[in-house]
Amino acid sequence: MIRLFAVIERDLKKFKRNPVVLGMSILMPLIYLVILGNSFQGKLTGLPVAVVDKDTGPYAKRVMEDLLAIQAGPQTFSLISVADEQAAVNGVRAGRYKAAFIIPSDFSKRVSLEGRPEVGLFLDNTDSISSETIRNLLNAALLSIRSEYVPIRERTDQVLLRDINLYGKVDYYQSLVPGVVIMAIFLGTLTTGAFNLVMDRFLGIDESYLLTPLSKSHIVSGLIISGLSITTAIAILILAVSIFITGIPFPRAAGQCLPLFVVVVLTTLCLLSLMFVILGRIGHPRIVGVLSGFLNVIMFFPSGAVYPVASFPGWLKSFSKVNPEAYAVDALKAILFKNAGLSSIYGDIAFLGLFTALMMTISILSFKRTL
Amino acid sequence: MVIEDRKAIVVSEITKKFGPLAAVDHVSFEVGEGEFFGFLGPNGAGKTTLIRMLTTLVRPTSGKAVVSCCDVAEEPGEVRRHIGVVPQAMTSDLDLTGYENMDLYGRFYGIHARERKERIKNLLDTVGLASRANDLVATYSGGMRRRLEIARVLVHRPSLLFLDEPTIGLDPQSRHVVWDFLRKLIEGDSMTIFLTTHYMEEAETLCGKVAIIDAGKIIAIGSPEELKSSIPGNDIISLTVADLSDGLIGAIGKLSFVHKVNADEGTLRVYVDSGAKNLPSLIDEVRASGGVILSATIHEQSLEDVFIHYTGKSIREEEAKKVSFLVGAGIPQKLGR
Repeated sequence: MIRLFAVIERDLKKFKRNPVVLGMSILMPLIYLVILGNSFQGKLTGLPVAVVDKDTGPYAKRVMEDLLAIQAGPQTFSLISVADEQAAVNGVRAGRYKAAFIIPSDFSKRVSLEGRPEVGLFLDNTDSISSETIRNLLNAALLSIRSEYVPIRERTDQVLLRDINLYGKVDYYQSLVPGVVIMAIFLGTLTTGAFNLVMDRFLGIDESYLLTPLSKSHIVSGLIISGLSITTAIAILILAVSIFITGIPFPRAAGQCLPLFVVVVLTTLCLLSLMFVILGRIGHPRIVGVLSGFLNVIMFFPSGAVYPVASFPGWLKSFSKVNPEAYAVDALKAILFKNAGLSSIYGDIAFLGLFTALMMTISILSFKRTL
Repeated sequence: MVIEDRKAIVVSEITKKFGPLAAVDHVSFEVGEGEFFGFLGPNGAGKTTLIRMLTTLVRPTSGKAVVSCCDVAEEPGEVRRHIGVVPQAMTSDLDLTGYENMDLYGRFYGIHARERKERIKNLLDTVGLASRANDLVATYSGGMRRRLEIARVLVHRPSLLFLDEPTIGLDPQSRHVVWDFLRKLIEGDSMTIFLTTHYMEEAETLCGKVAIIDAGKIIAIGSPEELKSSIPGNDIISLTVADLSDGLIGAIGKLSFVHKVNADEGTLRVYVDSGAKNLPSLIDEVRASGGVILSATIHEQSLEDVFIHYTGKSIREEEAKKVSFLVGAGIPQKLGR
């Protein structure tokens, strides 16, 4: 035991003397939450749309009223009236407008005579999200053109769907919190544990302890325990801060805190032992730098932290089935948003536990006690 | 106190190959308990690979080595318990203080707190680092760091100490401090010391027994005196001569007090008895044979001359060819990783 504690203490002391690493490990996931929370989500506003109205009839007026209502309400686009059709299309090509909307001169006439009325829409389809939004909004606006009255009673020939939300509302920002915690754990496990081994090897100071009676398991488990304490502390801090800033109801009961703690600890152990398997024999920190970006992308995005696993193609779904981060995200979502206890996430916990045991065994077996 | 009949190290036919290259080639030797044993040779001769095999860091390709109690390949853990090793590269932790470095090391060996504390205090006193014990090693000079590393390896009181080029990269003054410390060690504790070096003076002044190694093979082994007496004569006269001719070399070789003559680019190395007494006769002979002497020096034979005698080249020249200021700075050797 005296040996194991010495390995742990050595690592913790060294970490403590590098406060920059600690600061970055805490700040980065939080910044990530803010950036990701604001860059993916979000309603589009103020898209410039050129309008060429060549018709003066009543239905053209009605269309224009609808468009102005959208401009005033959700503010999805701002309308610019353009006299000439060609100028409007050129404006889209030049990037001044996201779309050009053209009402032909016979529009009202065709509406009243039931003669297939048409309007034109020229879209900058290179920006697919903006152009889709404009197309959908305009389609919806044009649908109501012929409705002469608003139905007061429910129509009896339609099936009514009554939807009931089982859980409290979860907005996009809040839904990112499990992912951010997993990201913090990933960063923590990458900069502690096996990384110390890589650095010692790189600096040539691994010789000093390889020459002592320390066993493989002293070295591996010592580094994993110190990495676990550092990373768990950071992850719990980040969990608390992000719950606070996104306004998720704060877990008060032990019934919710305990499962959160178990999942954080288990995920950390899982990733630490995985890192040991991956980095165990690497002798240059540059390789870790290259691997970190790669591992983060292949583990984080297929974890379901940002977009549901159900949307993935089959091969990616299969990958998610062996991706520990996917189980961790699932468990955290269940606890945070569904108030789930340990008994409802036993599947996730069992996977994380088994994965950890497997990786730990491989890392101790594959650890080289010689140079 | 030297107990000759008990062996601290027994090595037979040990070999390490890296691909086709044999870094250590069928080397056999023995080191008695209490001996101060030195391995002398140029860089790249195989010294570090040999020491790494003896200290369990590199597995031998073939051959056998019993160190302290056990076979290095069969019971590496047991061997590590009994030995102390100061590797060539500085391995103390820069982010920790001198005291912390020693304390953690003591704990790696399972030494209990009270005893550890006392031993560390004594050792830091002995190596003159007591006042800097609580400073980060990052603030130490090279000599201080080396002293700390030698002290650190003594915390668990090993019976056998390995030092791989312990004074490499140190200035002459720090080198003498380390030497004095090592001498004290061997006097006090009947400890066995195994040291590698490419400094002739180091081997000559410290070691009771020296093995000269070149290109992975031991070429001579014995006490410095034995090694020196194994080469002819007892002094060497170096002469720089203009218009050196084979006739001149032949004439010198016939002189009764001359044992051997080596010629190298205008410089003659003449192995003689009683150099000071015979120098005038040698000069007369060179002049009589038509040679013009530009300079003459006499020196007592050293281990350098032994190396030259057996390999036909000088360690200094070997070093100059492989000139590497990085090695001098204690950069770790990556070979074998």
